Amino acid sequence: MNNDAIDVKNLHKEFTTRVGFWSGKTKKTTAIEDISFNVQRGELFGLLGPNGAGKTTTVKILSTILLPTSGSASILGYDVIHATQAVRKRIGFTFGGARGLYTRLSAVDNLAYFAELYGIQPEISHQRIDELLELVGLTDRREDRVETYSSGMQQRLHLARALLHDPELIYLDEPTVGIDPVGARELRKTIKGLVAHGKTILLTTHYMAEAEELCDRIAIIKQGSIVALDTPASLKKQIPGDSLVEIEVRPSDLVLFQEKLQGIKKHAFDVADNDGNKKISVRTAHPEEVMKAMAPFITSQLILNLEVRNQTLEDVYVSIIQGDKT
Amino acid sequence: MIQRTLRLIRQQTRVQFQVRLFNLFSVGLYFIQPAIFSLVGMLLSQAAGNEKPDLVYTVIGSGILGMWSGLVFSSLYDIRGDRRDGTLELIVASPTSLGAVEAIRTMTNVLTGLVSLLAAFLVAVTLYDYSFVGISLPAVLVSLVLLLVGLWSIGVFLANFTVWSRLSGNYVEFLEIPVALICGFMYPISILPEWMQAISTVIPIRWSLEALDAVLMGSRDVSFLLERWGVALLLSVLYWGMTRLLERKVHDQIRVTGEMRSI
Repeated sequence: MNNDAIDVKNLHKEFTTRVGFWSGKTKKTTAIEDISFNVQRGELFGLLGPNGAGKTTTVKILSTILLPTSGSASILGYDVIHATQAVRKRIGFTFGGARGLYTRLSAVDNLAYFAELYGIQPEISHQRIDELLELVGLTDRREDRVETYSSGMQQRLHLARALLHDPELIYLDEPTVGIDPVGARELRKTIKGLVAHGKTILLTTHYMAEAEELCDRIAIIKQGSIVALDTPASLKKQIPGDSLVEIEVRPSDLVLFQEKLQGIKKHAFDVADNDGNKKISVRTAHPEEVMKAMAPFITSQLILNLEVRNQTLEDVYVSIIQGDKT
Repeated sequence: MIQRTLRLIRQQTRVQFQVRLFNLFSVGLYFIQPAIFSLVGMLLSQAAGNEKPDLVYTVIGSGILGMWSGLVFSSLYDIRGDRRDGTLELIVASPTSLGAVEAIRTMTNVLTGLVSLLAAFLVAVTLYDYSFVGISLPAVLVSLVLLLVGLWSIGVFLANFTVWSRLSGNYVEFLEIPVALICGFMYPISILPEWMQAISTVIPIRWSLEALDAVLMGSRDVSFLLERWGVALLLSVLYWGMTRLLERKVHDQIRVTGEMRSI
């Protein structure tokens, strides 16, 4: 049996929009460009990228909501273009934000309706709805209209809806958006639990710490193309320089520090505004050399703040998305 | 299969009532608007020299107008609401076909529209001493059922265009008054110019309505009624057939364009 839960080959999607009412001219926008990747059964795979990079378009094609312009994708062995019914029965998905629920209905009524759309027998769906509301912590509010829920509660209800028919594969599009830190932690725990029960998950998120904590592998997507794909640990190794030294200085002192850091071996150098001051970021394999060069300034109080730390996934992500500024 | 279909009808109807129908807009749609048309119709009838207003065309006609408006607007707003709420994508990506969901919704909207007609009958009976004596009730029922089937078939047909794109959905809205005018909801269709009558021949409700009007006015011309019923049924079946053909096309088209969400 093929162990791939998702197999994407050269997937390409263009949207055509009309320009002007009379001209009949059209404009093509490429949302994703020849992307290929696979996700194994039981894997938690992350799809990261800035807004408009093509993450949601990819998820929508894999959910059979959109058709690709070219390329192919199969879900648990079923083609997303032709075997839509087989795919739809086996996947569950949530899209970020508050949309996707009937807000004038209660949580129970929403779930009962979607259970019917998935053809779940009432004797099964009643029990399943109870279990899922318990899982997402909404049992106490089950009869309340969804319009009275906080965005965090709505997100949790989305998850319950996605799990109704016990799908083998789940797409979670920014599941923790709008959820407070405690709620987000609970949700991450739930997601881990789903993977422990053998579910395959495709996660898109803007929170790098979340991706680092949860994902077995990550694909970073930029302007419709996958620009990196590996485990979080390997991705961090792909960017040269293990450490990041961040030095905060006054704008008037910036040139002085830039000159001082010129001779030091480094892999990347970046200057950013930081609350009226300047933050110099130096990515290097030799942080001790930077510290040595900076030592005289620490005592002279020209350095407002200095931090040395290991690189995080966020550093890697920013480096890939923005490109190195050495 | 039958049980599953019945469950789906029950659930969909329940959602329909909770989400869309019990609101003030529906009251306006199903009661206030037909009442205004009814009043205007009676005044026009009196102005034309009739001592008593023509009940079938004014009161009953306005009830049917309420049903038609209810169907057009409710069906349109159902899909608009789903686009706005992001639930259209969820329905499309579920194993239940959007066509089945639309068919049930439209049926619910058509049946809900019956309240307009019932209210119109009540007004006719209580305020204007309208009497059913001498009227063939079975013929009324057959005409009414065919009217409902006709409305249903047009409703599901038009729903495809509303799903297809936001723009084509807006055009469906424009059909409300023209269809009411050319089908002779509130006056005999024979007073319309011939070219208008010719257009209305492709609309099933024109035929069932013509039969209903005739029956309510005491006609027992069986061949006249059978002809109208037959054409109404045939056209309804034709609309259903076209709907089935369109559904697949629309499903594929919205998956290409991504027209399932409001921007």
